[in-house]
Amino acid sequence: MSHRSHRRRSLAASALVAVGALGLAACTTPTIATGDAAETAASDAVDWSSVEPASQITWWSNHPGSSKAVEEELIARFEEAHPEIDVELVTAGANYDEVAQRFQAASQTSELPDVVISSDVWWFRYHLNDQILALDDVLEHLDGDTDDFVSAFYADYEYEGQHWAVPYARSTPLFYYNKDKWAAAGLPDRGPETWAELQEWSTSLTAQVPADSKPLGMSTGPSWSAWWFENMIWGHGGQYSDEWTTTLDAPEAVAGGQFLHDLFHGDAAYATVSEDSTADFAAGVVAATIGSTGSLKGILDAASFEVGTAFLPDGPDGGGVPTGGTGLAIPASKTPEEQLAAAMFLQFITSTEQTAYFSQNTGYMPVRTSAIESPEMTAVYEATPQFRTAVDQLSAKARSQDWIRVFVPSADQILTEGIEQIVLRGTDPATAWGSIAPKIETAYRENVEPYL
Amino acid sequence: MTAVLAPPAGAGPTRRPAPPPSPAPGSAARARRRRALAWFALLAGPNVALLVLFVYKPLVESFYLSTMQWNLGSPVARFVGLGNYVEWFTADSTARVLTTTAVFTLTTVGGALVLGLGLALLLDRRLPGRGLARTVAFAPYVLSGYAVGILWLFIFDPRYGLMSAVLRGFGVASPQWYTVEPWPLVMIIVVYLWKHLGYVALIYLAGLQGVPQDLRDAAALDGASPGRTLRSVVLPLLAPTTFFLLVTMMLASLQSFDVIRSMTQGGPLGSTTTLMYQIYTEGFVNGRAGYASAGATILFLLLLAVTAVQLRFLERKVHYA
Repeated sequence: MSHRSHRRRSLAASALVAVGALGLAACTTPTIATGDAAETAASDAVDWSSVEPASQITWWSNHPGSSKAVEEELIARFEEAHPEIDVELVTAGANYDEVAQRFQAASQTSELPDVVISSDVWWFRYHLNDQILALDDVLEHLDGDTDDFVSAFYADYEYEGQHWAVPYARSTPLFYYNKDKWAAAGLPDRGPETWAELQEWSTSLTAQVPADSKPLGMSTGPSWSAWWFENMIWGHGGQYSDEWTTTLDAPEAVAGGQFLHDLFHGDAAYATVSEDSTADFAAGVVAATIGSTGSLKGILDAASFEVGTAFLPDGPDGGGVPTGGTGLAIPASKTPEEQLAAAMFLQFITSTEQTAYFSQNTGYMPVRTSAIESPEMTAVYEATPQFRTAVDQLSAKARSQDWIRVFVPSADQILTEGIEQIVLRGTDPATAWGSIAPKIETAYRENVEPYL
Repeated sequence: MTAVLAPPAGAGPTRRPAPPPSPAPGSAARARRRRALAWFALLAGPNVALLVLFVYKPLVESFYLSTMQWNLGSPVARFVGLGNYVEWFTADSTARVLTTTAVFTLTTVGGALVLGLGLALLLDRRLPGRGLARTVAFAPYVLSGYAVGILWLFIFDPRYGLMSAVLRGFGVASPQWYTVEPWPLVMIIVVYLWKHLGYVALIYLAGLQGVPQDLRDAAALDGASPGRTLRSVVLPLLAPTTFFLLVTMMLASLQSFDVIRSMTQGGPLGSTTTLMYQIYTEGFVNGRAGYASAGATILFLLLLAVTAVQLRFLERKVHYA
């Protein structure tokens, strides 16, 4: 073999090996049963009274609200109460989406956790894929007082009469404002009641922020912007969908998009795009932002000024605030022993005392009404009234999210694309919505409709 | 994701045993052949088995999946034939993904070759601290691409980053690296170049040290300037090195993932979504495993074609010493 020819073959073989790795990266090697989606069999009912809990379980979390130490403390408390069960905490991603992607990728393997974070836009996909367990029976067996869950939170995980997760780190978007800048601008110590009012205030607030900034800082991105924008589209009488029917072409939805456009690109625009709006807010670069309630503790710790919290402003047609955050689910493919141990863990860390502890240390809302009214939380609300705002907003303004965002796989990412077109490029809202609506409909047709 | 070039199968001393010089008695010849075959199976078998298991089997399965409409994680899938391919070739996003892929690949490969050669020429000189400089230049290549991306995100931060401070020092406002096109693409190109420059320089350095000094001396005696010597003596002798780097860097660049994943996640608005990143997004974010597999098959064919073209046309111009 000549040197040249040998080298050529070596390079060709190297190329083949390198590109072959793609096949490995592209997918695992699942066993796929072809057929009608509706034919998937429901799991047999388990007699939980005859099951002994497993001695070890694994929990995949992204530690929402920088809560790793808090979660470790919750595990320590559980292991003290149940010394027969060990819990391993695994950092399975930096955010809800990364945990979900890892969970999806592991779905055809035996490397699944016993408890997994299941955010508002992912749990239904898990359910469609028969990946998670309906929790009603096992929680009933454990005498879990599910009636005590904040009803709006627990109902979020209900489909066809069964609950597929329990609420854990639940939140709503919250309006954060810098009280020092508010005072310097001569504004009352409260958040704006309407977006129109914030528009009026923006003139005096502009003088309080750096010249290259704006009074309101907002971030975009998956699992985020399509969440807070619900407040704006609802405030203009629109919505993403009417149940499964996309309604982005309705005049009200376009009006909501136009409001967003003008917020960033109008003649009197007063919002700027932040890579990390809570960091910019805490640094005083912007005077106000919209953040998750789960960011409250972090913002309070980081800010050197007094932080104000308020309801999200209303639009001309009212408003509303979406609930969000994450619940906890149990994979359907685990053994009944592992599922029972996992259910005991879920029940424990969402109990009154533990959800109050989690709330105090993160800003996420307590998921039980008994916790909201508990002496511990009452003391927290008195000492730090900002924690109370989210709870009050929940009862006054909460509204279930539009179906397509939370139930159609990848619709959140598609909606984010439309919102970013408007925010980053200044695209006309009708054009932006028109470009994404067919994608959402395709996602529904491919990934939801066959399974209903 | 960067390409990892495994040792090519079949390269090395595995050679078909020479036939016996003359027809031997049947049983002895058969025994020799069996022994040779057994040795071949013993030596090549594990390598071949690994290749089949981890390369060719997934490749075949990936193609199989590309004919399905399958929601990743779902227990059921639907056969759609070439539907995923039709959709990919007719999608609005395809042209943009291919353009981004081409821009990213050509600028990173071209930039790495030019800058890497320049760095190698510099490091080839007898300068004080040369060993340390070589180590420093190569170090980024061994760092995790994800960690490098995170680090550079801080540097590029338009408000607080080092780059912003430097630009402000020159009286220039920082571009909006994260949000305004085409800066996010420029940002990941710069980072990818920085990470791979040391690798290219190191390979070029090895090539430079293989250039006979007497040829340079002869050129100098003939009155050739350093530039002319580089152009007419050194570069032609570096042609095999350049060709090797061209092939490997192009494969690596087309499969780049970690820097994009850590810095832009393909955004904003898909402006940094290469074909490789699209495969990831469709498969693991959107859950469209069949469509993602179609993309993977297309990328496989693209890489094969690029490599074949390089072998067919460029290698003709390469002179091996």
